[in-house]
Order: sequence, then C-alpha cells, then structure tokens
Amino acid sequence: MNVVFENLLFNGVFLAMTGAAIAALAGIGSAIGVGIAGQAAAGVISEDPKKFGQTLVLQALPGTQGIYGLLIAFLIMSKIGLLSADGPLDITMAQGAYILASSIPVGLVGIFSAIAQGKSAAASIMLISKRPEELAKGMIYPAMVETYAVLALLISFLMLNSVPI
Amino acid sequence: MSIARMKKLSVIGLTSSQNELMEKLMTLGVVEITDQEEKLSDSQWREIVVRDTDEKTVAEYEGQIARVSQALDMIEKYSSGKKPLLRTKKPITLQEFQKVLEGERQIEESIAQIIALAARQVELTNAINKTVALKLSLLPWLEYDLPLEEQGTKTTDLLLSVAPVAVDVDQLKNELAEKAPASVTELIHSDTEQHYFWIVCLKTEHNEVDEVLRTYSFSQVHLGNLTGTAKENVSALEKKVEELAVAKCQVEDSIRSYEAEKGNLEIFFDKLNILKDRAAIRQNLLVTKKTFYLDGWVPARATEKVSNLLIEMGCYYQIEDPAKDEETPVLLLNGGFSTPFEAITKLYSLPDSRSIDATPFFALSFAIFFGMMLGDAAYGVIMAVLTGFILKKYKLEGMKYQMIKMFFYCGISTIFWGAMFGSWFGDIVTVVARTFFQAEVTIPALWFFPLDEPMKLLIFCFILGGIHLFVGMGLNAWLSIKDGRYWDAIFDVGLWYLLLIGITLLLVGVVPELAKWMAIIGVVGILLTAGRNNKGIGKIIGGFTSLYNITGYLSDVMSYSRLLALGLASGVIASVVNIMGSLGGAGIKGILLMTIAFVIGHTYNFLINGLGSFVHSCRLQYVEFFGKFYVSGGKAFQPFCENTRYVDILREGN
Repeated sequence: MNVVFENLLFNGVFLAMTGAAIAALAGIGSAIGVGIAGQAAAGVISEDPKKFGQTLVLQALPGTQGIYGLLIAFLIMSKIGLLSADGPLDITMAQGAYILASSIPVGLVGIFSAIAQGKSAAASIMLISKRPEELAKGMIYPAMVETYAVLALLISFLMLNSVPI
Repeated sequence: MSIARMKKLSVIGLTSSQNELMEKLMTLGVVEITDQEEKLSDSQWREIVVRDTDEKTVAEYEGQIARVSQALDMIEKYSSGKKPLLRTKKPITLQEFQKVLEGERQIEESIAQIIALAARQVELTNAINKTVALKLSLLPWLEYDLPLEEQGTKTTDLLLSVAPVAVDVDQLKNELAEKAPASVTELIHSDTEQHYFWIVCLKTEHNEVDEVLRTYSFSQVHLGNLTGTAKENVSALEKKVEELAVAKCQVEDSIRSYEAEKGNLEIFFDKLNILKDRAAIRQNLLVTKKTFYLDGWVPARATEKVSNLLIEMGCYYQIEDPAKDEETPVLLLNGGFSTPFEAITKLYSLPDSRSIDATPFFALSFAIFFGMMLGDAAYGVIMAVLTGFILKKYKLEGMKYQMIKMFFYCGISTIFWGAMFGSWFGDIVTVVARTFFQAEVTIPALWFFPLDEPMKLLIFCFILGGIHLFVGMGLNAWLSIKDGRYWDAIFDVGLWYLLLIGITLLLVGVVPELAKWMAIIGVVGILLTAGRNNKGIGKIIGGFTSLYNITGYLSDVMSYSRLLALGLASGVIASVVNIMGSLGGAGIKGILLMTIAFVIGHTYNFLINGLGSFVHSCRLQYVEFFGKFYVSGGKAFQPFCENTRYVDILREGN
C-alpha cells in the first residue's frame, strides 16, 4: 500500500504538475487586482460613462500576472511532455522538484503584486476621473508595480529553462 | 530640432489699425500674446495705460456659441446618419467659408427653430412623464366604480384613503363598525406597500371615523379634480400618452430635418469662436487713448513674416532674444521620424524651455522596445495596416495624428522583431501544418528563437538598456556643457562612464588590465568629487552615497529584462492559443475550433500585450531614460490663431 501511495504522489511528473498549478495560482492575484480596479472604474462610470475606454485600459493592467502564471504553467506542461500525444516523459523526482521550485516566484509574486497593482490601478482610475488627460501617468504607476511580476516571471522562466530533461 | 527658439516681440501701434492687425495676426497664427497683469501692477505703466477689455462682446459671443452648440448637439442626437469613427476638420476655402456665412440670417433662424423644437421636446417629455405618473397612481383604484368627483350625499361623506400594508384590515373594519356603526368600509386593492380603501360614513360620525383612521396612520387621497370613474380616466390618460408620444416623434423628426444644415451650423460655430477669441484677446492688450501695446512670443523662424506684417500695418515693434535664463513658451519642432513621438513627451510633460527636448533621442528606442515586447510579426502587420489605413483615410492633426503615426512606426518595428524571432501569430503555421496536413513546417527565425536561447536575448536586452542609459547620461553631460559647467559633465557623467564601462569589461573579461584601471579611476574619482558641492563632512560622505548609486544603475539595467519577459509572454500566449485551437484535430470540427480559438485568442493577446508593450515602453523612457537628464515643466506655446473645431480655413498663398 505504502509503495503504491509513494509512487502516486512522489514522482517527477506529479511534482512538476504541482509546479504548473502553483504558477497558475498567480491568477488569484490578478482576479483580486482586476476586481479592485473594476470597483473603482464602475464608480467613475456612474458619473461619466464616456470614460469607459480609459478605465478599462487601467483595469486590464493587473490582469497580466495571471497571464504570466499561465505562461509558466504552460511551459512546464510542454516541458514534461503533457501536451504531446505520447503522454508525459519520464521525469525523475529531482527534475520534478526543480521544476516545482521554478514555479514559486511567478506564482507567489504574481498573487501579491497583482493585488498591489490593482490598488494602484484603482487610484489611477480615480486620477483620470478628475484629470482624464493624465492617462499616461496613470498607467505608469501600476506599471511600476508590475516590474516585480515581470522579474519573477523572468526568474521562473530562466530557472525552468535550465532544468535538464 | 527639438525645442523651437523663441523671440520676444513687443508692438506699439495706433488704435485705428488695431482691429485689422489683430485679425491678420490671428490668420498668421504664430504669435503668443502674453497677459499684461505684471505691467499693470507696475505704477509707472499704470499711469499711462489701461487694460483693453471687451467683456460684453465676449459674453455675447459666448451666449451665441452656447446656442449653436446646443442646436448642434440636438442634431447630433437625432441624426440618422452614421457617426464617423474619428472626427476630422473639413478643409474649406475662405470663399466657401464666407459664402456660407452670407446666409447667416438663415442659419440663425434655423438655430432658433431647432432650439424651440428642443424646448418643445423637453416639454412633451415632461408631459408624458406626468401623465404616466398620474395613470400609475390611478391604477389601484380601477375596481372603484364611482365617479372620482363624488364627495358624498347630503348626509354622508365618501372618503378614499390609503393605509400602510402593515395595517390589519379585519381589525380596522371591526373598530370602525364599533365607533361609527353606520359606516361602510371596503378594501379595493392591496399592493406590496399599501391598502386602498373607500369608506362611506354619516356626516355626523365623520369625526369618529377620522379618529380611528388616524390611529391606523391612514392618509386621505384626493382625486376630486378628476371626473368620471378611475377606469375611464386611465384609458383617457393612456390615449393622451399615445398622442404625446406621437407629437414627440414629430418634433424629433423635425429636428432631424435640419441635418442638412449641420455643415452650415458648424461653420457658423467656428466663425463665432474666431470672433470671440478676437474679442477676448483684447484683455491682453494695453491701450492709451490713441495707441495700443502688446507683447508676446514668436518662434524665431516666423519672425520675418511677423515683422513684414507689422511694417505693413505701420506699427512700431521690437523683436529681441529672451534673457539667458528667461523661461519661454515651449514648441516642439522635430523632423521626420521623431515628430510622432512628441506625443510620448507631451504625455509625460513638456520640457523646460531652458532644457532639451528628449524626443529625437528616444524615438528610435521607443519603437525598438515596443517591437521587441510585442514581438510578433503578424501583430505588427495588423497594427501597421490598421494605423496606415487610418492615416490615409482621415486627415488627423495634433495629438491624435501623432499617436496613430507613432503606432504605425511601432507596428513596423514589431514586424521587424517578429521576423527576427520567427514569430507569426506565434507558431500558427507549424501548428496548422501539423494538425491539418500532417506536415512539419516552420518559419525560420531570421536571428534566433528566444525560447531556445533566452540568455542570449537577455544579454542583448541588457546591452540595449546600457546604450539607452548611456545616451541619457550623455545628454545630462551635454546639458552641463551647454550651461558652461564643464566640470560637472566630467565628474558626474564622465567618471561614471569610466566606472561602468570598466566594470562591464571586467565582467566580460575583455582587456582586464585597462578595465581594472578604468574602474579604479572611476571609483576614486567619484569618491573624491561627488561631494564637492556639499559642506563640511558632507564632502566626504557625498562621495560614498554617490557611489552607492551603482545599485541604481544595476537595477536600471535589470529593468530592461522586461523586453525579454514581455516578448516571451506574447509569444508563448500566442502558441497556447494555437495549441488550444489544434485540440480538435483535423476535420470540420477541428477547423471550426481553430478558427474560433484563433480569432478570440489572438485578438485578446494582441490587445493585452499591445497595451503592455506601450505602457512598458513608456515606463522605460520615463523612469530609466528621463530620470537621467530630463527637466520637465515647460508651458506649451499657444499662439493666437483661428481655433476652429469643425473646419480648416484654407487661404491662398498659405
């Protein structure tokens, strides 16, 4: 019994897939961030429906972390051969663990940075409700937050890329 | 290039020629006329001149403009035609412009009629609302079949009342029967908020009834000014609403019939605006009994035209260079490729007039960064074609034109980088070939596939970033030299160049001996000089704190890694889309799935990554590049000109 259980859970493919799942968790942050920005946007629209396009642009900004997570999750899946017709490759536990580790930056940083970016985007939406001509500046503040998600994505990617299969 | 040089203009002329001069200056449209508040607070000036104002005329024109724009809004609101995607100014010759205005009386009449119609429309809308409200208030009484004007008989009173829904009907009836035995109470209708009653009682018992009703918080309803039963009234009101709606439609149709005159109204609007501006500018002029005075700014290249005009008008004038540190209005003048990127500078903030315009220095890098981050040739083609089409079809101006043109260039750059990295809708060709034709086809990358060699691209990004930063630092040095602060250029930029290049060479391992000495000279030099403007112990500490900035340079360079990361993001998401599309296999279903995934997926990816690329290109310019040298805070040059909204007046010889 014990042996079967171990084979089931502690094998390379399972660890790697857990990694893909962790990376995809960045979507939690994006969902919350986009939600926060959306609340602010709806408030602005109630006063001035013409600003829909501008607020939508700002609301979209915290959405990228989810995409970065998806990206890493997808790369992991394709790396372990999950997407090919022949099924998963033979992955050792060590390889699986490396892949799992590489998913942590994008998953973890994604969650928190997207929430922070959502707050910043909400503030920028308030900014354009009063000064619509300052949209460019309003976009830069959330973009400053996103930098760290980009860096995490990069690290996850480089780590993943360096795992030999 | 960059910021246009401004000259200071002062003019004195005879009041008799003032109007003509102002008119001609306006057509010329190259002079900014400054406000004279400062001179008026000077007692010497105040003794001889007064401000020339004509607020009454301005207010009059503003009133008229408000009427025209109201009329235009109404036409716009009810017009049947399609609204154009982008509004552009219609070019029109002066003759045509004047010819239209010959029918000014006719236009004014139309405006009056449109406004009257608009007022009628509002009236009708209000009447409809009121009627509907009245009808709604009668609906609960539909079952009550006595005429509403009925008040009772000689000895009885008839009451209509409502009570909150919380009231217990049976208990109420019992209590009324007890206190006023001769009364009759009937519940007509109940809804979620109220009970509706009619009550008949003897006049003699009226007070008792009232008392009971009060304890149940009843309120009496007066529908006495209506005649006939509720049912009759409701159907009459319904008919009235219909009639009003028809009338409203007719009014809207009549407003619509003025659509043909829209063009004339727009020309009239522009004419009024020109006249208003001409009246309003007078308050920037100073006058005596027979003369006027004005001063302002002229771009250096337009001085000849202006002085010709002033000579022709017989004015005394003076054109001089601004004092060395005087702030002038800022007009950006760039040639060719960099012009559209002025939009990015303006989105940040105009440069200070004594500093430099960054546009020509970042235009190329902006396009490169954008292209690398979007990084897909097919997306680039879409962008270039779309924006190229808009540029061809619409005659845009100002900010809109610059933005579209800028995206056109960015699209071309995206095509270039996409082709270099072999990305066309991700790997759509490979996926389609494999799924539907069982063939292995790849579009080769002109350079390399970033997914295969990410480190190579990362280093390339850092090199680009380094160059970008060095250009920014170089500009800082150049600004210092321009100001005559040569030592600042050497200490603050030259030494850093030495240090940074030295460290880079050491890391790469090229000419280590030379690199070592470059780095050492740099470090020692910065330690010794960076604190030179501080006092006391600050002189020593200044060196160390400045050296600490090396982490700043490091993080600046690291920041360019986003070029790789975002480029990968758009490329990988594109392949995710393609793979999802290929999951249906070959066959009709597969083709259908592929088409749907392709259209939705790539549209989404294009939009979200296009936005990301724009935002992050801006950020790299604003934070990393501008941070090195840019001084913002200039005031835009606002010449006194024909500020029209709808038409562009063409004059001969222009």
